[in-house]
Amino acid sequence: MIEKWSALIVLVLAVLAAIGMGSNAAWLGTSTLIAIYSLLALSVGITYGQAGILSVAQGAFASMGAYATGILTARYGISPFLTLPVSVLLPALVALPLARLVSPLSPLVLAIATLMFATIVEILLRGGGDLTGGYIGLSGIPPLFDAQTPVTFNLIAWFAVVVVVFLYANLMNSAWGRAINTVRHDPMRAVADGTNVTRLQSLVFTLGAGMAGLAGWLYAHQLSFISPDLFGIPVSINAILMAVVGGAGVILGPVAGAVVLSFFYEFLPGQESRGMFYGAALILTLVVAPSGLLGFTRFRRRSPAVRRGAVSAGAVPGKVAS
Amino acid sequence: MNRGIVVSSVTVRFGGVTALSDVSLNVQPRDIVGVIGPNGSGKSTLFNAVSGLVRPASGEIRIDGQDAVGVPPETLVRQGLARTFQTPRVDPVLPVEAAILCGFQTKARQSLLGAMLHLPGQRREEAQMRASCRAIMERLGLIEVADVPLGELPMGQVRLVDVARAMASEPRYLLLDEPAAGLSLLEQRRLAAAIRLLAADGVGVLLVEHNFGLVGELCRHVTVLDRGKVLLEGDVATVRSNPVFLQTYLGSHAA
Ligand SMILES: Nc1ncnc2c1ncn2[C@@H]1O[C@H](COP(=O)(O)OP(=O)(O)O)[C@@H](O)[C@H]1O
Ligand SMILES: [Mg+2]
Repeated sequence: MIEKWSALIVLVLAVLAAIGMGSNAAWLGTSTLIAIYSLLALSVGITYGQAGILSVAQGAFASMGAYATGILTARYGISPFLTLPVSVLLPALVALPLARLVSPLSPLVLAIATLMFATIVEILLRGGGDLTGGYIGLSGIPPLFDAQTPVTFNLIAWFAVVVVVFLYANLMNSAWGRAINTVRHDPMRAVADGTNVTRLQSLVFTLGAGMAGLAGWLYAHQLSFISPDLFGIPVSINAILMAVVGGAGVILGPVAGAVVLSFFYEFLPGQESRGMFYGAALILTLVVAPSGLLGFTRFRRRSPAVRRGAVSAGAVPGKVAS
Repeated sequence: MNRGIVVSSVTVRFGGVTALSDVSLNVQPRDIVGVIGPNGSGKSTLFNAVSGLVRPASGEIRIDGQDAVGVPPETLVRQGLARTFQTPRVDPVLPVEAAILCGFQTKARQSLLGAMLHLPGQRREEAQMRASCRAIMERLGLIEVADVPLGELPMGQVRLVDVARAMASEPRYLLLDEPAAGLSLLEQRRLAAAIRLLAADGVGVLLVEHNFGLVGELCRHVTVLDRGKVLLEGDVATVRSNPVFLQTYLGSHAA
């Protein structure tokens, strides 16, 4: 399958884009933001696109990653590279018990539970006093290294995307990935394969939270300040939109969605029209390409010869699913 | 230790409906036990009870001596109890080979990290799974359709894929719910041969069929269910010549 080459595709395109952009600060800023949004949308891709868990808490997990590194580096002077594992593991460790708690819920109730969780996180960050900087937030977060420039930071952000895509694509192309997809399509079928559905869903939720934490870590060190609403619920919804528009079930779908929607956003005149535009983009995608822009890459068609031989007169497509 | 699947006086109720009433059954390794009966007689419910999907109101189910009632169904699968569904539960876009590979879940030992990094041990395991998968496909005559999405296959072959997926876990007991419905004669031959091979390898098979044909050919022991109760049981020849059976079952189904 083409998905095996996902990481290489991102690497090549990111390098080409970096060469093309040179040191144009505006372009580099947009590119870096797309990389960060890609990570957030990828976290939606694995939790929603692959495991079928619709979470509105991905922004909250990113927030945790951002605050973890923000507090540790700005307040305690710890090196950003030492806080990286903290930013990834903290949201993951919070997600694990949360997932155990909510994964038996029905999809809609689960989505609402994640919404409530995200709200609680935001409230805690606002009320966190000196530790989190309250509603003003936290400033003075150091760069990753002294010589950090928009050029190097853009490369680092995209390198993070490449690594995540590599791990993610490998995972989905394994026994684990097959089980995850079975759970999404039909939990009862997964049970009959011997899969512990709750445990696997929790695990995927945890992995997604870690990815989001990485996005938060990057954003904190790009902006140098963070606030409670930086990764608010609108950002989570945005990430879901990017994943769905690009193709949540395809490895690179969320990245494609992040690129496309970010570009449109750049060229869109005013803030007011943003919601309308995103709504339109979503509806258009669902109508024209229900599996997202990259949906066509999944399970490519077989050669016509095989096709002819295989489908007998008695074929009953559509009747096989129960 | 008491080997085999031993079902003793199991009763299953759905609200006011008694789907199974006081049913007992015994499947030993190497046995192929048939369960037949008209639609709605409780065959699938018996399966669901044994595989842990529905909880009996009373009665006992033991698998190799261990109490199976209340054990999570996926745990039973991991302990060696595989099943197929009467209506195969399949993802129509999934190609045959990919679907059967899903059946190797209980054999997978790869770690999450191993999978994410495609470490050598994980790659070896995947290669082994693919090889075993091809062997099973060959045995069931599915090689030619390995890359065909399940949604494009005739129902009979989809059932075969479901059987293959269950075989992948190398179960000690295999429950097949009407696996031959919609199969061509050639496919039925292949299925019958595969079931015989499995039994010869030591697998205990519980075979539910609507019609007597395949059961009469494969099974020594047959249980006939009617409206949730055991109507008759015994070896195939006895059941076949029983007047009650001829009247209530074959009579209404003109087989
Ligand atoms: N999940 C269920 N809820 C309610 N009634 C059920 C359920 N499953 C089966 N039944 C009822 O139990 C009876 C036996 O059904 P089933 O076991 O599917 O029969 P068979 O497989 O022999 O055709 C039927 O009357 C059916 O309506
Ligand atoms: Mg049935």
